[in-house]
Order: sequence, then structure tokens, then C-alpha cells
Amino acid sequence: MILAAAMNSEEWSGVDETIVRMRKGDPDALSAVISRYQHRLYRYLLRLVREPATADDLFQQTWLRVMERIGRYDARRNFESWLFSVAHNLAVDFWRARRGDSLDSTADVNDQHGNPAPPGERLPAAGPDALEQLLDFERGAMLAACMNDLPAIHREVLTLRFEEDMKLEEIAEVAGIPLSTVKSRLRRALEGLRAGLETRFPRRRA
Amino acid sequence: MSEHESMKELLALAAAGALDGEPQRRLDEHVRDCPLCRRELEIWSAYSHGLRRLPQPPAPGQLMERTRALVLQERATAAERRWNDLMLGALALFAWTVGLSFWFLLRIFTGGELVIMGANLVRLGAWSVLSTILVWLTAAAAALALGKRRRELRRAL
Repeated sequence: MILAAAMNSEEWSGVDETIVRMRKGDPDALSAVISRYQHRLYRYLLRLVREPATADDLFQQTWLRVMERIGRYDARRNFESWLFSVAHNLAVDFWRARRGDSLDSTADVNDQHGNPAPPGERLPAAGPDALEQLLDFERGAMLAACMNDLPAIHREVLTLRFEEDMKLEEIAEVAGIPLSTVKSRLRRALEGLRAGLETRFPRRRA
Repeated sequence: MSEHESMKELLALAAAGALDGEPQRRLDEHVRDCPLCRRELEIWSAYSHGLRRLPQPPAPGQLMERTRALVLQERATAAERRWNDLMLGALALFAWTVGLSFWFLLRIFTGGELVIMGANLVRLGAWSVLSTILVWLTAAAAALALGKRRRELRRAL
């Protein structure tokens, strides 16, 4: 028992001190950790579920779940990835309960036979004015609007990669999928985003 | 698939910083000599750049405070539940100990015979039945009292 405690203490020695204090039940540390991640976690959930009220609710549930399971948190894991994976799982549960569906649903990127369309068919031909438009107009708002049209699994991989600046390995850990799936999702998400942008905002021909 | 086509497939990932090692090296070489892919990479890079600068919706005001209050309340409820369970166990154990001690004392003082309604209560079997009924009744009363207190606390919160 003493040996286990010593090993546990050694395992936690590399972990952020605030998280260690939060695990011990320090309310100030809890506030500090929630404050540190609040905007990122909320944004991630909002990108996934698209509804502020649901994101708000899932945010609170995430922290309840975190505190419930912090005793079982493996200190060798990155806390951030663990936190986001808790939120991911709650979002998956939310989708299942709501639609009898899952976050992994790709219905909206499949063709009429249910098969994923080849990338070349979904991707409009490249043109120089796509870049110009991207740079000229309200790029952020346009992209955000088009991103909202993507399936949840694609929104998730985009927000984790570009907004949270996570490595592909971390994304794989959060979403609980293999690295190769992260890469293929990322590529499909970018292609879908570009297709959506070029459909919503058709190229102006001179 | 031609080299050009296979490299074109990698452009979006390259712009997202998701390539490394040999694939990245091959792509760099190809892009150096292929103006179409170079242009395409610029477009994908613009997308990546744009995605990194999306409008950032902030968390609603008070969300942190509400979450903190909810977590602390949940912890307090869980701690109280644990305390109640512990108390219930301790009280049951205490009741058994008192009952057993009382049986020993009764045996000593009555010389092993205390007949009430035709039953010798100092005999182990009869005493066990009687004390078990008493212990369960006490535990049920305690559980009801604790449950009532918990409901009152929840209402107060």
C-alpha cells in the first residue's frame, strides 16, 4: 500500500500543481483550472453541437464528469487531451440521445447510395479567384458559416487542429480514433469546407 | 494514379501541417517543379490560415461561476452521502456490540434464565432474533431520519 502510494505520488510529480490540488478537492484550484480551459472547451463544444444552450449544459456536465473521474485520471496522459475526450464522449452521448444517431454520422457527405463521394467529385475545380475571395471578403465569418454546415466529426477535427492547435496524435486521443482516421477526416473536412465555401460564395468570373 | 495526382491528394494535409518525413519531402520536391500544385498549396494554406483566425466565441459570462458552484454542490452532496452511509454502518455495528454486551451482562445477572411469555430470552437463539429485530428497526428509523434530513438540505440548496 505504501509502495502504491509512493508510485502514485511519483506518477503525479510531473503533473501541473493546480491539477494536483484540484484532485485533492481544493476549490480555488478547481476555479483556476475551469478558468484556464473555459473558453477553449466551450468553443469546442459549441463547434460540435452548434447550440449555445447545449454547449453550456455539456460544459457543466464535462466538469462534473471530470471531478467524478479525476481519481482515476492517468497522470501520464495529457490533461488537456483527457479533458477534451471527456467532453467528446458527452457530446457523443448527447447526439445519441437526441437523434438516435452518433457524432460519427456521415450521412450528409454520402451520395444517394450511402457511399462516400470521391474527393474529386466533391471538390470544385481550383481557381485563382477562390484564394482572392478568401482574402477579400469576411474570411472568418464565411469560413465559420461553412464550417457549421459540415458533419460534426469534420467540425471536430477542424476545431481541434486549427483552433486548439492540437497534434494529430492528441486529436486521435480525444476522439478515440486511429491516427490514419484523423488524417482522412482532416482531409475530407478541408475538402468539404472548400466545396461549401465555393458553393455558398460562387466564384466571380471576369 | 500519377505522381501528380497522388501529390495533389496530400496538399490539404500538408497545408494543415499534418505531413512529415518522407511524404512531406516528396511533396516539397514535387511542388518545386509543379506550378499547379504550388498554386493549389497556396489555396490550402489560405484555408488553414483562415481556420486559425476564425471568430472565437467566448464562454458566456457566469458560466465558470455556475459550473464551479454546481461542481462544489455535487461534491458536497456526494460527501454527505458517503458520511451517511458510514454513519449507518457504524450505528449498526454499535447496536450489535451493545446488544451482545447486554446479552453477556444479562446472562451473568440472571444466571442464564429470563423467561418472558414462555421464552427464555437469555438463550442465544431467542436473544439473536430479538436483537436483530431491534437493530433493523433502529437502522430503518435512522435511515428515514437521514433521508428526511437530506431532502431538507436539497430543498434548502
